[in-house]
This record gives sequence, structure tokens and C-alpha cells, in this order.
Amino acid sequence: MSKITIPLGPQHPALKEPENFMLVLEGEQISGATVNLGYNHRGMEKAAEERTYIQNLYLIERVCGICSHSHTTCYITNVEEIAKAETPKRALAIRALFGELERVHSHLLWLGVAAYEMGFETLFMYTWRDREQVLDCLEMLSGNRVHYSINTIGGVRRDISAEQKAEVLKRIAYLEERTKYYVKIGTEESTILARTQNVGKLPYDVAIQRGAVGPTARASGVARDVRKDEPYLIYNELDFKVITHDTCDVFGRLVVRVLELVESYKMIKQILNGLPEGPIAVKVPMRLPAGEAVNHYEAPRGEDIHYLKANGTDKPDRVKVRAPTMANLQSVAYMMEGGWLADAPLVIAAIDPCMSCTDRAAVWDPKKGKTTVYGWEELRKMGIEHYKRRGVDFSRL
Amino acid sequence: MSEFEKEEKIKGALEAQFPGVVSNAAVQRKNRVWLDCAADKLPAVLDWMRGQGFDHLATVTGFDEGENLGAAYHMTDTHMIVTVKARTPRANPSLPSVLSIFPGALSYERELEDMFGIKVQGLPPGRRYPLDDDFPKDQYPLRKDWKFVPPADEVEAK
Amino acid sequence: MEITLPLFYLIIFPGFLFLAVYGLWLQWLDRKLCAVMQNRVGPPWVQPYADFVKLLAKEVIVPDAAESGMFRVLPFFAMAAVMTALLCIPVTGAALFPFQGDMVAVIYLLTIPTVTFFLAGWSSTSPYSTVGAMRVLTQLFAYEVPLMLALIGPAILAGTWRLSGIAEFFSAHPALMPAQAIGFFAALIALQGKLERLPFDIPHAKNEIVGGQFTEYSGRLLGFFNLAVDMELVVGAALLNAVFLGGQNGFTGAAAAAVFLAKTIAITFLLALLKSLMARIRIEQMINFCWKYLAPAAMAQVALDIYLKYRLG
Repeated sequence: MSKITIPLGPQHPALKEPENFMLVLEGEQISGATVNLGYNHRGMEKAAEERTYIQNLYLIERVCGICSHSHTTCYITNVEEIAKAETPKRALAIRALFGELERVHSHLLWLGVAAYEMGFETLFMYTWRDREQVLDCLEMLSGNRVHYSINTIGGVRRDISAEQKAEVLKRIAYLEERTKYYVKIGTEESTILARTQNVGKLPYDVAIQRGAVGPTARASGVARDVRKDEPYLIYNELDFKVITHDTCDVFGRLVVRVLELVESYKMIKQILNGLPEGPIAVKVPMRLPAGEAVNHYEAPRGEDIHYLKANGTDKPDRVKVRAPTMANLQSVAYMMEGGWLADAPLVIAAIDPCMSCTDRAAVWDPKKGKTTVYGWEELRKMGIEHYKRRGVDFSRL
Repeated sequence: MSEFEKEEKIKGALEAQFPGVVSNAAVQRKNRVWLDCAADKLPAVLDWMRGQGFDHLATVTGFDEGENLGAAYHMTDTHMIVTVKARTPRANPSLPSVLSIFPGALSYERELEDMFGIKVQGLPPGRRYPLDDDFPKDQYPLRKDWKFVPPADEVEAK
Repeated sequence: MEITLPLFYLIIFPGFLFLAVYGLWLQWLDRKLCAVMQNRVGPPWVQPYADFVKLLAKEVIVPDAAESGMFRVLPFFAMAAVMTALLCIPVTGAALFPFQGDMVAVIYLLTIPTVTFFLAGWSSTSPYSTVGAMRVLTQLFAYEVPLMLALIGPAILAGTWRLSGIAEFFSAHPALMPAQAIGFFAALIALQGKLERLPFDIPHAKNEIVGGQFTEYSGRLLGFFNLAVDMELVVGAALLNAVFLGGQNGFTGAAAAAVFLAKTIAITFLLALLKSLMARIRIEQMINFCWKYLAPAAMAQVALDIYLKYRLG
């Protein structure tokens, strides 16, 4: 049969962010795959060199929408290491709490995306509805749903009250219940098994050789988790397991992520119940002494590593961000070759790609013919009015 | 020095294995070792380290020190991060590729070429990353002397 | 007067207009049911009509590489075939143009839209639609045999190839209806494949090949293709109703129409349930499933019907 080359992206329904995969097909099977990146580059590392450390915090947060806390925590660990700041214990605990809430929200998001890529729309809708619970928690604690901005140099910006703690625990209990259901569905539903088992194989050796990280590596039996290997924040005091799986396929990645949800719930409860007393932040001078630091962090998608070089001013000399997707993408081409076209979106989704992280880029705002400026309230009002005329009243919801 | 026994051990072993190649090795704190390495011996050092269990090249950070450009290879066995720095003169920047040891380093090396203009010897031809196809080939944004000049039409739009 | 009544039948009820309006309404019902099952709000009932009207107003873009004539004419072929099929299926009381062997004609006519989907994808020449077209054809070979086999069973039992005749037979012998359960479910699943709905929406799996065979279609032409698919849902449900559920025999006029609507809605409900319960499977898994399980199940039904026929004498 003649070969067909199919472009998957940069704009494609299976991809949430621009990237490009060229797939060479023989019939329905993929005989070759290349990964093309860079559609999202926005020059963050250069921009970081022209901003102060505290401004960079908010820039780095926007490296990624999903693991925003991972990137700031990793960056801030570097800053505090160079500044030799003594971050209070309570602040570290709150950071860890956000880290785990973020992992829950990211893994639930992934479960929905994976379900969508395999065409299981009902599961997609269910998981995303449940994900609202954890987003509500984050909003309640930080005031924001996605970019929490909870970190500040020397600590965190907001404390956690007793009521908030009770509310989070309540919602986590609900999610634990739901997750049991997802574990059951994910491991027993026959169409899910048919679509995930023996799909996107990544053997142990190749995972190591290509530098896979996070759940992708752990599903290939590579027991690596920065939280265990080099505990940061307060992870050395928490009781949790590193989840691994030995099937090396998409099914393994699904199981690893779902079981990690359970571990995260456990950790959230431990952190909240054992929240140390004390201040939540210390003062850190604006200027950092010259020096350099490198730190890694277990983001929901895997190891996130940041390098920071300070030169004695209030601006960094060099900031380097390597997001987990960047490390995992090298394995994708391997996983797709010899597979079915139908599995390509799922295999790509299985590493939970986050292209913004990888290219460090954002939404490009196209130039408009005329400029009209709407405030948030106006936009909100317009939206409500628009749907009211069509018989849907959101203001009552 | 018993506090950093593990770190001192790998530092000592590196210095013993590669005399004259490895210099300025230092233990910064627990789990962090930094060292400089002669550019031409870089693949050999990385290959030896992979044999010692440092089988994960976390990332490659390019840097610009004025006289020299360079790259820092952050290697880890997931517990310890050993950063190997290789420098190359600004006039004719060039580093050997480590792809034969770490196939996953492809994007990192392309980034070195695109953002710093460091020629990576042995990098297979391919699409550039991360810059756009029509970005000027002779400009390297992460070098310290590079300044952003907005194109004429964008200035007008403001 | 002699000419106006058949024209009324053809164009208004139960012909083209009814089919179009009811087809779009069933699309809404299907979407709404799925939405409710998926914990969503779902579209308002005017949505399918609005979508259709909107598509009619949009520009039609024909790819340069496509064969323009064929590209434009295919949606109408699909629609015409589906409409013709309805003429042989009883909607109110008897069918409009029943004849001995009309069941075979209906099955044949229902294959034509699938073939037009293939041609549509193939003549668009884009990679996505080419892959989609190949999948359409591969899938056709998977579900067509079980569907045909499942429909043969009741025909053998009733001793007629006329749809109205089969419906009459089952309303006369309602006790035999439960014995057709295997065949009914086999036909239901095969119909799901024919309508290219989850878990068999492989030819236009959006995460893989965007719009599949319809990727290059736009505007009016896409609108008519969508309409043809919705009409196919009505005709497919009507076919299953006539063959397995006894049609609307014993009712006349408005009551018959009401029974028809109720039974087709029930079948749509089952199809929607199927759609929201499963993940999309791969093309080779579908062929495996259809040949290993669905076709033997339909075959067992045929054997059972032959045995029943023998016992009844």
C-alpha cells in the first residue's frame, strides 16, 4: 500500500496546544513519526533577565497553565537558596499542599483528556466535572483557579484558616469516593482496556535512554520521583508511595496517574492535619548575592528542573526552565512508530503534553481592525445577557 | 567533610579519572556538585558519568559569559545533580554533540544552536527549534548583547 | 386529485419534509439524551435546525484537487437514497410503495449513503479524508453482513420479504417477538456502525483524522450530508421497528404515526445509551468484533428462526 503522510497539528482537534507530528502511514499503521516543536516560543528566558526576582515570579507562573505552582515553587527554591532565606515551615507545608492539589487537578484533567482522545466522551465529562471540586478548593485558598500566585519570595501570600481546612477536607473526601469509581472504570471497562493495553509501548531501557520522567517513566517501571529521591518542601515528613507499573503502555500510565491521585489525597490530608504553626513568610532582600543554583521538582507531568544564576543585582543573570514535557517528547516518536493511527492522539496525550511549558510561550493576540476595550465586569455582563436572550440564565446557577 | 561523603566521592572519582580535563570541581551543598570540563572531552566525561549511574541528562543550560559562551549539562541519578560546564570561545563557538550518549538531548542541543549560536558538532540536520522558521539566522536571542528591535510594522501598530 | 395525494405523501408526509424535520429532531433528542447521561445541559431543541440553516447560508468551498462535479453531487445522492428507502417502510399503517422484496431494496438503498461517504472522502483528496474514506469502506464490510443476517431471521420466520408483511406477522404473533432479542441487538449494534456513531465513529474520529471523509466539505454540501445522516437514523430506526417491533400494525391515522414516533424514539434512546457508554474502538478491533461476535450472533438468530418456523409448521 502506498504511504500517506498525515500532519497531526499544529492545529488539530486532538491537540490542545500547537505542536506538529508528521506521521507516515502505511494503511492504518504508522511507519514513521517526527515531532516538530517551537510553535509556541515566547522568549520567557530572555524576558526573565530583564525583570526583578519578584516580577519574574509572576512571569514564571505563566510558563504553564496547569503546573503553574510547580514552576514558581521550583524557581523560588532557587531564589531562596541563593538568598539563603529561612522559609518558615508553615509556608513550606502550604506550598506542598498546593503542589498536591495541583497534581490532583492536573491528573483529573489528564484522565478527561485521555478519555476524550479515546472517544469516551462520558468519562471526559465526568472527570472534568469532578475536577471543579479541586479547582474550587484552589480558588477558595488562593483566590484564583489556575494561576494561584500563592508563592512569594520567602514564603506564601495567604494563610489557611480552620474553615478552609475543613472545606478542603470535605471536598477531598468526595473526590476520594469518585476516584474509587475511576479506578474501577479504568481497569475494568472493556473498551478502555482495548484502547490502552499494549498501546504506545515504552520499554524500561528506552525510557531511561530517552530521559522520560514522571508518570510516563513510572509506568515503564522506572521508580523515579523527586519527592522521594530528593525530598523538597516537607515531603520527607509525608507518608506516601511511589506508584510504578510494569506494563509500559498507555494503560500503565493511566493506572499510575489514577493511583497517584489516591496518594495525593492521602498527602493533602496529612499536610492539613499536621499544618505547623508559625509565620507564613519572611522578608528577603530584593538584591540577591552572586551565585547559582539548580533545583528540580516533581510536577504532575514529571521532573521539572530550573537553573538560576544571580549576579548581585535585583535581576537574574540567567533563568533556565526545563518542563517535563520537553523530556518526555523524545519518547513520543518511539512510542508511535509501528502503532495504529487511531492510537496516535492517545499516545501523545498519554505523556500529558504541555506545549506551553515546553516552548515557554503564550496565546498570541491577533491584531484587530478596531480596538474596543472591555472590562471583566462588562464581558461578564455581556455573556450573561447573551445567554439570557437565549433562555439560559447563568446568574441563577 | 564526612557531611557530603557521597558528593565528595563522585567529585574525587571524576578528578582522578579525567586529570586536566575536569577543573574547579566543587560540592555546593548536599546533592549538588559543580565542575568545569574541557569542551572537546565533554562526551567522554558524560559517557563515564552515565556508567556511574547518572543516566538522566535533565537539561542543558546555555550561558553567555562575555568572553566565552558555554553550556551546563545537568546530570542526575535522581538524587544528586552534577552540573558539568563546558565553555567555548565567543569568536568561534562550538561544542561536541552528546546525542550518541543521551538521544533525548536533541531539543536541548537545537536550543543551544538557535538561542546562543553555539555550533553543535554532530547534530543531525532538521527543523530548527525553538525559534520560528523566518527568524533571522544570524541572531541569537539569549546572548547578552542581543536586544529586541521590534519590526517596523509592529511599531506602527502601537 | 389523483396526482396531488401521492405528491403530498412524497413531499410532505411521510416523505421528504417529515423525514427532514423528524431527522433533525431525533438528532436533538440524541444529543440531549447524551448530554443528560453525561451530566451536561445539552442543546435547546432548535439547535439542529439552526445549525442546518446556518450551514445553508455558508460558502461552499471545493478543493482545487477535488473532482468538482462529483464532489457537489454526492450529498444529494446520499439524501435521495435515504428518502427512497423510507417509501418502502411503513410509517402510518402500510408503507407508501410496498412490494414483495422491499426489505432487500431498503438494505440496498441504505448502503448507498455509505458509498457516497467513501466517494466524498476519496474525491476530496486530502490525507484526512482519504484515510476516512478507506475506513468507511473497511467498516462497511464489518457491519453489513451482521445487519443483513439479523434482518433475514424475522423475514424467514414471517415467510415474506415485504416489510409490511413482517410487521403484520409479528403483530399477529407477538409471542414470537421476544425470541428475536439476539437479532434485534445485533441489528442495533450494526446500525450504530452504519450510522458511524460512537463507539464506531472511526471514519470521522475527530481526534485522529479531524472530520474524516467530510473534512473538505463545507457550507450547503456539508449541511446536506449531515441531514442525510440524520435521515438515515430515522430510516434505520424505522427499519428496525418494522422488522423487530411489529411496526404500527393495528393502528391507523394519527395513532399509527404516534406509535411510529414512540418506537423510533425508543430505538434512538438505545442508540444514545450505546453511544455514551463506550470509548471509540480501533478499526481492526471493530472488524474483529463484528466478525467474531456480531455475525455469529446474527447467524444464531437465523438458525433459531428456522427452527421456530419448522416447529410452527
